[in-house]
Amino acid sequence: MNDKLIVGIADMKLAQDGEKLITYALGSCIGICLYEPNRRLAALIHIMLPLNMETGRKNTFKYADTGIRATLREMEMKGACRAAITAKIAGGARMFEVSGGSLGNIGQRNGESVRQILKMEKIRLAWEDVGGTVARTMEFDGATGNGTIRSYGYPEIKF
Amino acid sequence: MRLRRGKGSRMEIKSYEDLNGLEIDTLKEIGSIGTGNAATALSQMIGKEVRITLPEVRIMGYNEAIEWIGGPEAITAGVLSQLGGEINGIMLSVQQMDFINLVLSNVLGKPVSDFNMLREMEISTLVEVGNIMISTFINALSGLADISIRLTVPAFAVDMQGAILTVPMAAYGGQSDYIMTIGGNFVCDGRQVPCRLLLSPDIRSLNFLLRKLGVMDE
Repeated sequence: MNDKLIVGIADMKLAQDGEKLITYALGSCIGICLYEPNRRLAALIHIMLPLNMETGRKNTFKYADTGIRATLREMEMKGACRAAITAKIAGGARMFEVSGGSLGNIGQRNGESVRQILKMEKIRLAWEDVGGTVARTMEFDGATGNGTIRSYGYPEIKF
Repeated sequence: MRLRRGKGSRMEIKSYEDLNGLEIDTLKEIGSIGTGNAATALSQMIGKEVRITLPEVRIMGYNEAIEWIGGPEAITAGVLSQLGGEINGIMLSVQQMDFINLVLSNVLGKPVSDFNMLREMEISTLVEVGNIMISTFINALSGLADISIRLTVPAFAVDMQGAILTVPMAAYGGQSDYIMTIGGNFVCDGRQVPCRLLLSPDIRSLNFLLRKLGVMDE
């Protein structure tokens, strides 16, 4: 189990040889697993915010829009067929119940943005576990396209 | 460095990593006075002497900050207030087990061994302690800089500390790839207990604060 590829915050990693991918403690952030079964190509993205409005639009993987699109391009460059790629997503929690302000709904806006970008890119959303109030650690098996979600105080979820 | 300069002195920073030595020293001083006052408040609540070590101002990348606090998956409690008024920001009291038991054993007379043992009584004690430390810190800041700051009612969470720490990161993530934290360690009964009292102002407020304190030109 020491060969897991760790995906940090605002980061993405590709698994080309069936490696396991993991990203820790998704709060309002969202983990996006993309999988192409024919090439057995898997990617895990850890985005933090819904839309990239930075000048220059660097920090690709910090944002849902640029992060998903850049990953799809990279998968296609490795021979993935766009139509065969499916997505599984988790995260977008509300960690603190703060009254007022935009702080509370970053997770919700992340979820909406990820779904919309996937739809625009014609990627089928196969599974999601978005929202709620708990953090999630997401593990994604590049060999099978399946994975698990771990949360504090809740049983593990398989997807 | 992405600075706008006028007459040889800078006008404004665009990102946390643009802070110069003088500005960081000023923020350290605020951190020192703020956490000093918070330590006094804590000391009154738990009825024991509490000192603080030299506070530090850190500017860290996201993943670096999470390693610094002790890894993403460790469970921790967090008390969070949003700052409004003349300054926008987030203040977070990250309460790790050592700190929780320092408070609970002295206030309620009963420590806990696990986060799932926190019941209503323990939680309201921790929220109150977090709230008083945050308010004391902010009062000191507002007095020093002569600005008015409002605080929201504190919110509480127990979860993976990576996810708790990403709350201030995500709030200002569109402005910076870095997070700024001001904090120190408490010393009580000869033991060091990390005091993770984090102030994360947004960039505009940081500029405003530094101007008010006279270390940045109008």
